[in-house]
Amino acid sequence: MKIGLACPYTWDVPGGVQAHVRDLAETLLDAGHDVSVITPVDDESTLPPYAVDAGRAVPVPYNGSVARLLMGPVSAARVRRWLREHDFDVLHAHEPTAPSVSLLACMLADGPLVATFHTANPRSRFLTAAQSALQPSLEKLRARIAVSEAARRTLVEHLGAGAILIPNGVAVRAFEGARALPRYRAVVGVGDSDGGAEGHGSEDGDSPGGDGPVVVFLGRIDEPRKGLDVLMAAFPLLVEQVPDARLLVAGPGDTEAVRSRIDPSLLGRVDLIGLVPEADKAAVFASGSVYCAPNTGQESFGIVLLEAMAAGTPVVASDIDAFRRVLDDGRAGRLFGVGEPAELAARLAELLRDPAERARLVERGRAVVARYDWRVVAQRIVGVYEMVSGDSPVSVAADDT
Amino acid sequence: MTVVVVVVVLVVAIATYLTWLASRLDRLANRVDATRAGLVAQLTARADAARSLARSCGLDDLAIAAERARAGHATLLAEATLDATAEDAENALSRALRSPAVALAVGRAAPGDVHAVDAAAARVALARQFHNDAVGDVRSLAGRRLVRLVHLSGRRPLPAYFEIDDAPPVREDGPPRPESSAEMPGA
Repeated sequence: MKIGLACPYTWDVPGGVQAHVRDLAETLLDAGHDVSVITPVDDESTLPPYAVDAGRAVPVPYNGSVARLLMGPVSAARVRRWLREHDFDVLHAHEPTAPSVSLLACMLADGPLVATFHTANPRSRFLTAAQSALQPSLEKLRARIAVSEAARRTLVEHLGAGAILIPNGVAVRAFEGARALPRYRAVVGVGDSDGGAEGHGSEDGDSPGGDGPVVVFLGRIDEPRKGLDVLMAAFPLLVEQVPDARLLVAGPGDTEAVRSRIDPSLLGRVDLIGLVPEADKAAVFASGSVYCAPNTGQESFGIVLLEAMAAGTPVVASDIDAFRRVLDDGRAGRLFGVGEPAELAARLAELLRDPAERARLVERGRAVVARYDWRVVAQRIVGVYEMVSGDSPVSVAADDT
Repeated sequence: MTVVVVVVVLVVAIATYLTWLASRLDRLANRVDATRAGLVAQLTARADAARSLARSCGLDDLAIAAERARAGHATLLAEATLDATAEDAENALSRALRSPAVALAVGRAAPGDVHAVDAAAARVALARQFHNDAVGDVRSLAGRRLVRLVHLSGRRPLPAYFEIDDAPPVREDGPPRPESSAEMPGA
């Protein structure tokens, strides 16, 4: 199939939508499809061979963060040329509500159009205001996909449009068989059964804080919704129950501020390693006996949980909708009440003391992750392409609306 | 002079706007037609899959439900709307597919037949969502006061939603699982 993907956000700035488009494009290419991506980009040399430059996006503050957007005659001309040159069987626009390349593509194209909606935003003033302006483009879409129940609800409430649900994929291959960070290889974690089991410390120096079981946190450490405070409050309670427990905290933010709030007697057990490169994420998960996601805010999708499970690390997560769904109602990981340190400590202690239960959770986690494997998710998306395409390829709309 | 210019500009603007609205309605009508054809194709595929499962396992009730649903599909494609009789026949097929007799037979059936029925049932649900989304978009645009006032929809009847119970059969082993660990390198 000839598939055109439109990505609204700058390719070389990290982001969930960009990652989704990249993973989808590469999975589709692997499966033998003919794929072209059009996207804004700052540094054209970062573009992979399958992507086309739509121009430089302008940063605009939106929804509490900075959205980089792109509209205008130059990009419109590039999108139009891209459509003419490729004769796509299907055009798949991502987040077409953002004023950028995807919306342009929907305005300019006619024929088998599919869109994926990523954002979950229950009170988007932007969407409410823009509804009638977006409507003409959105009503061309033959299939609308939402990546989460929350994203679908946002679509229904703001734009009165239904959508089918196909979740984000996880690049399972990048996490499978991950090895712990070198300093943690002395620990027998579930995901790392071969690393110097009997040794105290390893050739890379002593493992920080002894060789007890490790709880891993990964996320922005100064973003309250990520819930590090809940875990920090739970940790002393955990140590009362599991005296040699340790904590590995990875993620960007002010590590000194976090360190200053830790009880001095526990300082040696807490390893704050700051921002880790994307390539090391799997190793961070694999360094833990348990991965903890104490998020207090609504997440639209628990992708980080799936990554941890793909790396073979059992999960303890707060009981929010998205996590409950990913963890199969608690069968593939333990849930605890949102913002309840005592309950979190109890759940962690149960798991750290019970390697057999950890192994069971890892097994069930693998089964859950398989459903979200990009290779499986992409197949479902191709199923949608097949259902909406067929009669004629994507063309440039006569009236350009 | 100025008045004439203003009037001409206004008339042109209004005419352009109405033409644009009319083209949107046209495009939406095409989308409804395309999604209806897609829905009927998926309904047909489901009935066919149900029929082969019924034949291979000797399930008479399922065979009858599949035949009834199948009989309506030609008219569904020909007529502009999907009617209540068709909905009844499809509901009956959905129920037959979920009946205990079928659940029992699934153990004996060739896995391929069962998979074909389940996949077809899942695709019916998607096709119906695509169809009903298109219908919803037409109805919201055609319902606008201006569109009704100048009869932009012409004599096209408003398309109807296709409401059936298309919940797929639940299998004992949960949702169909991909061949996970078998094909994964290193697992």
